Amino acid sequence: MAEPALQLQALSKRFGALTAVDAIDLTVAQGEFVTLLGPSGCGKTTTLNMIAGFLAPDAGSIRLRGKAVEALPPFRRDLGLVFQDYALFPHMTVAENVAFGLRMRHVTRPEITQRVAEALDLVQLSGLGDRRPLQLSGGQRQRVALARALVIRPAMLLLDEPLSNLDLKLREEMRVEISALQRRLGIATVFVTHDQGEALTMSDRIAVMRQGRIEQIGAPNDIYERPATRFVAGFIGTANLIDDADGVIVIRPERLKLSASGEQPLGTRSWPVHVERVIYLGPRLELRLRMADGTLVLAEAVNDGGTAWSAGDAAVAWFRPDDAWVIPGDEADR
Amino acid sequence: MNRSSRLPWTSLKLIVACIYVFMLGPILITAAVAFNQDNRSYFPPRGFSLQWWGAAFGPQWLQPLLFSLELATLAALISAAAGVPLAFAFQRHEFPGKSLVRAITLGPLILPSLVTGIALLQFLSLIGLGRWMGFWALLIGHVVICLPFSVRTVAISLTAMPGNVESAAASLGATPYAVLRHVTLPLAAPGMFAGMIFAFIHSFDDVNLSLFIARPGERPLTVAILGFLDFGFAPTLAAVSIVSMLIPLALVAVFGRFVGIGDFLYQETGNG
Repeated sequence: MAEPALQLQALSKRFGALTAVDAIDLTVAQGEFVTLLGPSGCGKTTTLNMIAGFLAPDAGSIRLRGKAVEALPPFRRDLGLVFQDYALFPHMTVAENVAFGLRMRHVTRPEITQRVAEALDLVQLSGLGDRRPLQLSGGQRQRVALARALVIRPAMLLLDEPLSNLDLKLREEMRVEISALQRRLGIATVFVTHDQGEALTMSDRIAVMRQGRIEQIGAPNDIYERPATRFVAGFIGTANLIDDADGVIVIRPERLKLSASGEQPLGTRSWPVHVERVIYLGPRLELRLRMADGTLVLAEAVNDGGTAWSAGDAAVAWFRPDDAWVIPGDEADR
Repeated sequence: MNRSSRLPWTSLKLIVACIYVFMLGPILITAAVAFNQDNRSYFPPRGFSLQWWGAAFGPQWLQPLLFSLELATLAALISAAAGVPLAFAFQRHEFPGKSLVRAITLGPLILPSLVTGIALLQFLSLIGLGRWMGFWALLIGHVVICLPFSVRTVAISLTAMPGNVESAAASLGATPYAVLRHVTLPLAAPGMFAGMIFAFIHSFDDVNLSLFIARPGERPLTVAILGFLDFGFAPTLAAVSIVSMLIPLALVAVFGRFVGIGDFLYQETGNG
């Protein structure tokens, strides 16, 4: 099937004087996992709400499997949604929650029973069908919400910051689990988050949003290693941004090396620096370095028992040109 | 523990004890008086008799009691029926004159019901519906003073509703009507029931408004009690008072099991 699962064209939404979403284009292929990543207020949730049908766009089109849906109400769009607060129905059991979408579709009773059991099995909650949502842990509620969204076999899955209410360890487990489930089912997914870690680990492609626009869209390594703008470079991970004649040089701290003797391989660029502070992270060390002109740069060294740096040391910071990325001057200002 | 840290605790216990004495004392004394042998209100009671309790259920008292029950039930049902849509409108929608409509609806909470009673009396006379005095006028008045309770309790239910559940239902294919039926109303039901209970009690206990609108043969129990007081405080009256107190208490005891009434007594709505 060549038809993309979702196609947004020049989609816009204004709230009074504020343009929340500014003519964005986005295509999600069948089975693809695309993340809308950005700080709060960047328009990612507004975009999701327009796809889901909770907000009417001011301009532009939304196509699901090639069919224009702007005029369709949410209950006709056939999408599976998972909300940040899970939005489980507190007055229904887990099984009733999962069955809800099937009941609304007038699926027969025996088939509902079977599909609910399958869905609960899929999210490893078999046997908890009679519980109430309030009797479940955060992670279990999350799974119920997923099962409820998936059981209707929706055209695509929309996930609105589904991990942000979980504690750190569980969040990392659920990242892996949701990714695995999504790949197994091959369901096109739009995932909204402000967490770059989630975006990098889960996505096929990431759309970095800022002020209602998509700043850059690409695979996780594209976004991280070849950021299109200063904003993207700074928002995803940590970056040293050094102004240069050609534009802005982006060097990730883990690619910036430090040498005490001043020795460095041929063809590298370097600056003399002195170590201002060493932050001990366990497996790694974060080195805060001050350049001669006063610029602060960060380097990250593996804590492999090599040179023991301490504050005040003079050194040379160097990098291979291949390890840096240059944002051309006209893009750098954005 | 030293003396200074015990003092606040001791004072608190004392205050609580006073509250109980002044709250329960009069009730217990009234109950005791109802067991007097003679038709005199002695305390402690002299002799023992159940005749005044029998009298409390005689036709003279049964008629206003049934009248009150009927009035309170209808007032509760009508104010719930009107309160639910009003609460939805106030919580969910913006419309011109909203704050005015809300002020009028919730006004009786602040306005003394005495004033509402006099006003209703004047109003009905002036528009030529003086013959409505009695049951129908009472019903109108009681709905007016009970409405704020159901509006507020339903508003609390709507505010307390977990975010996005209605959106989630819609995304799962529920039409607006199905969302209302399967999600919104079931979640608002505790507020509706609590509102009905409050409305019933408020109506059943009301004397201020009823005093002006009741007429012979169509008066609630409270007005009948007040009228009987002209003849002094007889043991019958003590028995009737206890009965009239036990009915709302029983209602709360029974329905309180199903509906967390406390949630609605102590919770605040944002703008309900």
